Amino acid sequence: MSFQQVTKAYGEVLAVDGLTLDLHPGETVALLGPNGAGKSSTLDLLLGLRRPDSGTVRVFGTTPRDAIAAGRVGAMLQSGGLMGEVTVRELVRLACELHPRPYRVSDVLAAADITRIADRKVDKLSGGQEQRVRFALATAGASDLIVLDEPTTGMDVTARQAFWATMRDQADRGRAVLFATHYLEEADAVADRVLVLHRGRLLADGTAAEIKARAGARKVAFDLLDADAGSASRHSPEQRLRELPFLTELTVSRGGAGAGPGHTVRLQSTDADATVHALYGLGLHPRNLEVAGLGLEQAFVAITAAEEARTA
Amino acid sequence: MTTHKGMGALVRLEVRRALRNKKFLFFSVIYPGLLFLIVAGGADTTTEVGDSGLGLPAFMMVSMASFGALTAVLVGNSERIAKERESGWVRQLRLTSLPGRGYVLAKTASAAVVSLPSIVVVFVTGAVVKDVRLDAWQWLALMAAIWAGSLCFAALGVAIGYCVTGDAVRPVTMIVYFGLSLLGGLWMPTTTFPSWLRSLADWLPTHAYAALGRAIELGDAPHVRDIVLLVAYFLLFAGGAAWLYRKDTLKT
Repeated sequence: MSFQQVTKAYGEVLAVDGLTLDLHPGETVALLGPNGAGKSSTLDLLLGLRRPDSGTVRVFGTTPRDAIAAGRVGAMLQSGGLMGEVTVRELVRLACELHPRPYRVSDVLAAADITRIADRKVDKLSGGQEQRVRFALATAGASDLIVLDEPTTGMDVTARQAFWATMRDQADRGRAVLFATHYLEEADAVADRVLVLHRGRLLADGTAAEIKARAGARKVAFDLLDADAGSASRHSPEQRLRELPFLTELTVSRGGAGAGPGHTVRLQSTDADATVHALYGLGLHPRNLEVAGLGLEQAFVAITAAEEARTA
Repeated sequence: MTTHKGMGALVRLEVRRALRNKKFLFFSVIYPGLLFLIVAGGADTTTEVGDSGLGLPAFMMVSMASFGALTAVLVGNSERIAKERESGWVRQLRLTSLPGRGYVLAKTASAAVVSLPSIVVVFVTGAVVKDVRLDAWQWLALMAAIWAGSLCFAALGVAIGYCVTGDAVRPVTMIVYFGLSLLGGLWMPTTTFPSWLRSLADWLPTHAYAALGRAIELGDAPHVRDIVLLVAYFLLFAGGAAWLYRKDTLKT
């Protein structure tokens, strides 16, 4: 599927702003962004539930509506309700009967792990169970693309893990999966590719690792004792640390390190090895050195904050 | 052809669901029959209604059968559709291969399936309890006319369901439903109305609807005017429903 310069406004608010992107077969792609970033609007446009003000949306070389009618797209919406007064099995059977290339009802129930609740009324389900039923409706047949909008909302951690295991099965069958989420760890753990959306624009597009790298990939923390700081230097430790290569962020706070007066230093670096090497080169002797990967969450915050600063 | 298969599946599930809803079944299937018994009361077949040429039981039988069918297709449809729009089920259905008109057609068709028993219950009550006697062709023609005529109101129900939201659906439906039933002469003959109200009632779809059945009871063919009026209303309601449906599902 592809978006070409797609724009969509609601009144004054630009929900999707000149979005251009392509999705490839078999990819698992996370659409990541804070609330109001335009995730749901983007999915609505992709599914033909809304029309773009300008630009074109093509899905499998045709319009979204035709792609859905051909059974090539299965989708689970955040706002998608369920039919009441029927059992889970009846509803899933309906979804199978509506699909041009359906799977067997029992297989769909099993894949979504709702066989146990198949005879329960749809109105009597918990939030997490409802999500699973929605997922079953989205995977009732052999679609080539599955679109999921915030699929694990309302699930506890165990249910969430089980859900993603189910979803990976679907991806392993060669389907492309596009999901919107604001759970960053999900994007990190599940997606081959992460699209960061902010104010309707695509801020970043790459693997989770690439996105983390873009924001300053690793964080380094250590203590610096006054005794070790090389008293010969006229400069304060902070001024000297600023000279480190690959540095993207630095905070130095006055604090005890247990072995005497000193500073606690936290920094982020795009090349932690080189930075730490240079640290010794400055004649500094860091203690309690820790180097850790930056979470996608921090990367995400860094990227959106940079964008805010740029547009402010 | 898959669309037809899918539509059939939706109709089947809608019907099964309606048959499970006890409250809905009572009001659409049993209630018109009960009301018929109460209205026809102690009247015997010799009491004539105004200048209609029909006995009271026969007259009221058509009224109540029409009323029952109207209840089944109008009240059920509008409320369910409004509710399902709100819950997002209509949006979810848009993500299946079901064509846009499929939902509206399925709603209308399933309502029509449920309205049939309500007509039959009133007829059986009329024949068994109130001694209404008609030729075999008249029974069949009556059933066909009242059933087909109810499609007009099924479309109206769909239109209301798409037009009105939330808490307003029930009152709006009730006003339309009681207004049309009363003014159209389904509960009492319009001959008792003042003349200005009578001339207004003449143009209501419910009046034309009941008139279809009465013509058949008298052994006549239904009047062309009534058929034309009903078809015109059907086109108006169905067209309105289709337009509202498109507007609702495709938020621009």
